[in-house]
Amino acid sequence: MAMKALDIYKLLPKTNCKKCGFPTCLAFAMKLASGKVDVDLCPDLDEQTRELLGGATRPPIRLVAIGAGERSFTVGEEFVLYRHERTFYHQPGLMMQVADTWPEERIEGVVARVRDETFHRVGEDLSVDGIAFRWESGDADRFGGVVGTVEACASVPEVIIADDPEAQAAALAHCGNFQPLIHAACADTAEAMCDLARKYGCALAVRAGDLEELKRLVGLCRDRGVENLMLDPAPATLRDFLARSVEIRRRAVERTDPDLGYPVVFDTVPLGLPDAATALGILKYAGVIIIDELGPASTMAALTLRQNIYTDPQKPIQVTPGLYPVNAPTGSAPVLMTVNFSLTYFTLLGYLEAAGIPCYLFIVDTEGMSVLTAVAGGKLTETLVADAIKTTELENRVDHRVLIIPGYAAPLSGKIEEETGWEVRVGPGDAAEIGEYLETGWEA
Amino acid sequence: MSEEHNPEPGNRILEVRLGATKAEGGTRERVYTVGGAGTFPFLGAGPAAGHPPRIALEICDDTRTWSPIVLREVGDLAEDTGAWAAAAETTFGADMVRLSFTSTRQRGFDDFASLGTTVEEVIGATKYPLIVEGSTEPAIDSEVYRRIGEAAEGERVLLGTAEADRYRSVAASALAYGHAVVAQTPIDINLAKQLNILLHETALPPERIVIDPYTGTLGYGFEYSYSVMERIRSVALQGDADLARPMISSAIDSLNVKEVREADPETADEVAIRWEFYAAFSALIAGAEIVCVRHPGTVALLREALRALLEGSHPQEEAYGDESA
Amino acid sequence: MPTVTFLPGFHKADVPRGATILDAAQRAGLHVNVVCGGQGRCGKCVVYLKSGKITFDREKFGHFFTAEELDRGACLACQSLVRNDLRVEVPASSLVQEQKILVESRAAEIPFRPSVRKYSLELTPPSLTDTTPDITRLLEGIEAQGGPAANKIYAPLEVLRSVPQLLRQGGWRVTGTVALVPGGYRLIKVEEGNTEGRLYGAAVDLGTTTIVVYLWDLATASVIATASNYNRQIGYGEDILSRVNFARKNGLSKLQRLAAESINQALTAAANNAGIDREDIHEVVVAGNTVMTHLLLCIDPGYMIAEPYVPVVRRMLSTAAGRIGLAVHRNAGVYTFPAVSNFIGGDIIADILACGMTEREEISLLIDIGTNFEVVIGNRDWMLSCAGAAGPALEGGEVLFGMRANPGAMEKVRIDGGTLKPTYETINRVRPKGICGSGLIDLLAELIRACVIDRNGHINMGIRHPRVRQGRYFPEFVIAWADETDGERDIVITENDIKNLIMSKAAILGACMTLMDAAGITREDLAGIYFSGAFGNYLNKENAIAVGLIPEVPLDAVKNIGNGAITGANLALISRDRRRNLDRIAQQITYIELNAEPSFMDQYTSSCFLPHTDLSLFPGVQRVLDECRIRYGGAE
Repeated sequence: MAMKALDIYKLLPKTNCKKCGFPTCLAFAMKLASGKVDVDLCPDLDEQTRELLGGATRPPIRLVAIGAGERSFTVGEEFVLYRHERTFYHQPGLMMQVADTWPEERIEGVVARVRDETFHRVGEDLSVDGIAFRWESGDADRFGGVVGTVEACASVPEVIIADDPEAQAAALAHCGNFQPLIHAACADTAEAMCDLARKYGCALAVRAGDLEELKRLVGLCRDRGVENLMLDPAPATLRDFLARSVEIRRRAVERTDPDLGYPVVFDTVPLGLPDAATALGILKYAGVIIIDELGPASTMAALTLRQNIYTDPQKPIQVTPGLYPVNAPTGSAPVLMTVNFSLTYFTLLGYLEAAGIPCYLFIVDTEGMSVLTAVAGGKLTETLVADAIKTTELENRVDHRVLIIPGYAAPLSGKIEEETGWEVRVGPGDAAEIGEYLETGWEA
Repeated sequence: MSEEHNPEPGNRILEVRLGATKAEGGTRERVYTVGGAGTFPFLGAGPAAGHPPRIALEICDDTRTWSPIVLREVGDLAEDTGAWAAAAETTFGADMVRLSFTSTRQRGFDDFASLGTTVEEVIGATKYPLIVEGSTEPAIDSEVYRRIGEAAEGERVLLGTAEADRYRSVAASALAYGHAVVAQTPIDINLAKQLNILLHETALPPERIVIDPYTGTLGYGFEYSYSVMERIRSVALQGDADLARPMISSAIDSLNVKEVREADPETADEVAIRWEFYAAFSALIAGAEIVCVRHPGTVALLREALRALLEGSHPQEEAYGDESA
Repeated sequence: MPTVTFLPGFHKADVPRGATILDAAQRAGLHVNVVCGGQGRCGKCVVYLKSGKITFDREKFGHFFTAEELDRGACLACQSLVRNDLRVEVPASSLVQEQKILVESRAAEIPFRPSVRKYSLELTPPSLTDTTPDITRLLEGIEAQGGPAANKIYAPLEVLRSVPQLLRQGGWRVTGTVALVPGGYRLIKVEEGNTEGRLYGAAVDLGTTTIVVYLWDLATASVIATASNYNRQIGYGEDILSRVNFARKNGLSKLQRLAAESINQALTAAANNAGIDREDIHEVVVAGNTVMTHLLLCIDPGYMIAEPYVPVVRRMLSTAAGRIGLAVHRNAGVYTFPAVSNFIGGDIIADILACGMTEREEISLLIDIGTNFEVVIGNRDWMLSCAGAAGPALEGGEVLFGMRANPGAMEKVRIDGGTLKPTYETINRVRPKGICGSGLIDLLAELIRACVIDRNGHINMGIRHPRVRQGRYFPEFVIAWADETDGERDIVITENDIKNLIMSKAAILGACMTLMDAAGITREDLAGIYFSGAFGNYLNKENAIAVGLIPEVPLDAVKNIGNGAITGANLALISRDRRRNLDRIAQQITYIELNAEPSFMDQYTSSCFLPHTDLSLFPGVQRVLDECRIRYGGAE
């Protein structure tokens, strides 16, 4: 079980020697408790304490790397069941499948999409991560051939889906050096699959519908020297996946079952319902999700969901502070001040664009805090606003001196007026009302 | 910071009954109970699984601000609120209709009599429980909720929306005419709890409150809504009685965001449906018992997904059919 | 020079014409209240002129008094200039007494072991057979008297130079003064004859506005005088930030001089009153916030106020009084309290020492409230601290009729739940002008008990009562009708005022909860909550809990330590063990930056409710409010 800061503190030397880089032992204990540092930073612990604290504070789920090169990614090293408890760290790889029985053009089409398709949102490029090759032909050579052809032009992370070690070997002969995920070993094939995984240094997925069987397979593979493992709980329905994936994550993060401390792989294709299955994998702990050919609308929605879920709830996405013209404003257009919390910015921008009113969005740097937080935390102050007016040369951009501030910043209105000399008006607290406010209430 | 993960045995989300049959003084052919679960969504079986979630299709009485994509899809129905509501149940397969009185949002609205008429019309056209959304303007709240509540008296509708600084009118109407209330707060578990306490202090019984933790939409702060719902369900199962209420989620901005608004007309329906679906489906996984969408096409997609999630956990007739039969 | 005689104690002081009565009182050793720093704003230093002539603007300051009081000769000591010999009566309410009692009671709990000691010696004169050097003879004499080992005592050159004459003039009967200094002992003074009885020390609270000095007889272990003064730096900015800005514009040495002079005036007054020579003060301990400490030592504080907010020094520092211009013996050691961060300064370390929280196994919470607040939690093994901005609402800012704790401020308020009629007490019992912090907390608690506001602070406009009405911008509640007041308007509290108050109190409770959460403790683990600072003096504890300003604990566990800085400075002066511990305490405190602490926002939001979103944390309050709702909830 995870330990609380004070419990950890009791085991530390309490010398406040600062050798760990933190000002006090308690500060170090608090970082340890939140899993943000490693216990080895303290040089003065005996072996037993080190092991105890390490076991209680290190990531309960192993970090596994998939692929080589620019687009390779890692999954695992998660700590929690729910994002609000901390955050999710490593977003799942979405691997779009191709089958070796498909016509060449269809395969090429998928490969081209995975390689080239990106969506740009909130300052990030979103794309599918790689390709999953499914062995359907029953012909190992044909499988190897398809993998080889694609490998020559794609250079993206890969999953090799084949129960048969020979088919795996045929595929790995072409791409083994690029660390694809081998999917998947079961009781009969574990030995041969382990040999392949060791030979190429690849991660290996083990597959079983029963958690005890999964643990047994994990033990088997570890005994054969393969540590980079993933778990496929072999779901037959969405409900199966949800139940098994949650149970695996729960036992792992509660540290009651270290053999389940590996990331999960979710093969959604056999289940049908591609949108629901992909969303479920993203929401409920999959590390690798094998998806069918999702259409562009589904892909964009899935990638957006993944971006949302893997946003650190404690580190809001920020936009660059500055002056943003909206709907081609002139010098007499209203100036709306707000914070650089990206959600605030994009929500407000959406409503302003929809309302079609020319104006300036004047974004001040609150380090990504929302208006309410920034006001309460003392981050949003009159000096900050005054400085931002100077940096953006706001006075030269508009021919009036009226600043509209968010409703939640109302307590600062007087101080901002005093400090800046601008007339301050308090706008609505809800971005949805901004259009109406500007239509009816604004005149410089 | 770290919260316990495992529900305390015996803790349950409160059950909220929606709709009333003839025998109960209403006219609904179906009534629903939402809530009741003792586990995280779709993990329980038997009584601990609670009641199945419901899918609501949103319609409105003044289409000027409604998404053109939906209006194109529903065509003439948009001009006839009653027919639109009837189609929601029969043609589009929704579990319930959520009627928004968008007409009240125009400046100087004073046609209060029309609200009662429309409510009666929709009641006449539908057979399932209803959700009715009143005004967003505090100055007319009292009159709006009185008219709506009165017109729907006996039907046990879910009345929206109570907020922290304007809950008295909705609560008064619900108390006077026997309805339930949507309690909406802006994406924060504390604020959600606070509003429940405030409503409790107006004497509105807790089994007549549905929590709306507010959902913008996918890509626009959805992560906050998702986590707030998860967290509310989590502390409710830990024993926080103020939050042990069913939740409703409507990703109200779905069809207004850039991605959907600016989609190529050829693919606009596809994009709109996916955007609504991913948000609503995720809300179900996070613990919402009622999810609301506007595009009829989203209902079918959600229905299929819900079926796969509920497989084996509920008696067939409860999950998909008439619970009161 | 006119003589001012203070009644009832017949304390006397001679001051030049044109000095203020406050100056005279300080010289006479009277510890008069100067909350505003002697600027005629707080009305706390009321005295009554019995005979003699003064200059005092009765028009300008008349609002502090009733007509009857003016007839009796009431005036403000800080604004009355002495023209000739005076007899002045000082009412007990204008004197600060409680603090002395508190200091003495805390001091009595700990062993009296000051760091400076005198040794009276009768040395054997040297001879041809005993040619031990003078200084060795002296130091060995001290060792023989039970003092530190001779080879551990450092004798500075200037003391050394005075030794041969003093020994011989004194006939080998001398007194050596030895101070415990970092790294050993130091011989700071040698005198002829036996002067053991003349050993004094001073404890100083160097506040941003006010300076307080306690003078101790270190031979008899007793407080012999106290004095206070305003910090004369105030002319260069009222708040800390403006002082730092002035220091950055080449004003550092000026601010240093003003700090030293302000202390010197108080020290002089105290010494005069006690009838001792300042030269016999051999040690000074100063507790001040981080900026004040920097300024006294003439260290540039400029880098503290801009990113990355670094102070120059945090440890306890010692220097010789002569080097920073303090008017005591020039070799006397001056010790400044260490700090934890820019925000948790020496004043807070002194609070910690004053309340004794580090001496116990049980966990305590310490809260110092002003415009900014500081919170410390812990026990003898660990401590966590944080600081934040509470906003000015608790000091009367951002509230329509809010005011500081000046005459005419409602400081206590009750509301009858049935009739909604308020009753109130004002400071100096004059007609009400506004409401101060303690009154606002009372008001908040009473409004919710009377079911006028809900837990969100929204006024229930469904109540039909003339006191509940829609104001120009916000709904409001009338506390006093215009004809009861000092002015022409009804005194009201608006929904907006209430919102600001809730936000202020939530910042403090949220900070407390964040620290408790970080330590993993609950309110049941808290053995005590200590308030430090002026705010706590007038606060109704029950109401502070009712509105959720602090966590719910039994009422007798809430204690007010008043000016913890001066109490802590006193303890560090009289106990070498306590002083030695200060650096350790400061280093042990883990500072949590609230802005960087993700859980703070959560705690803050849940505290933005009356008393708190999680009612199970306030079971007692909850019971009372439930009863109130049953009795008054139907007021609509």
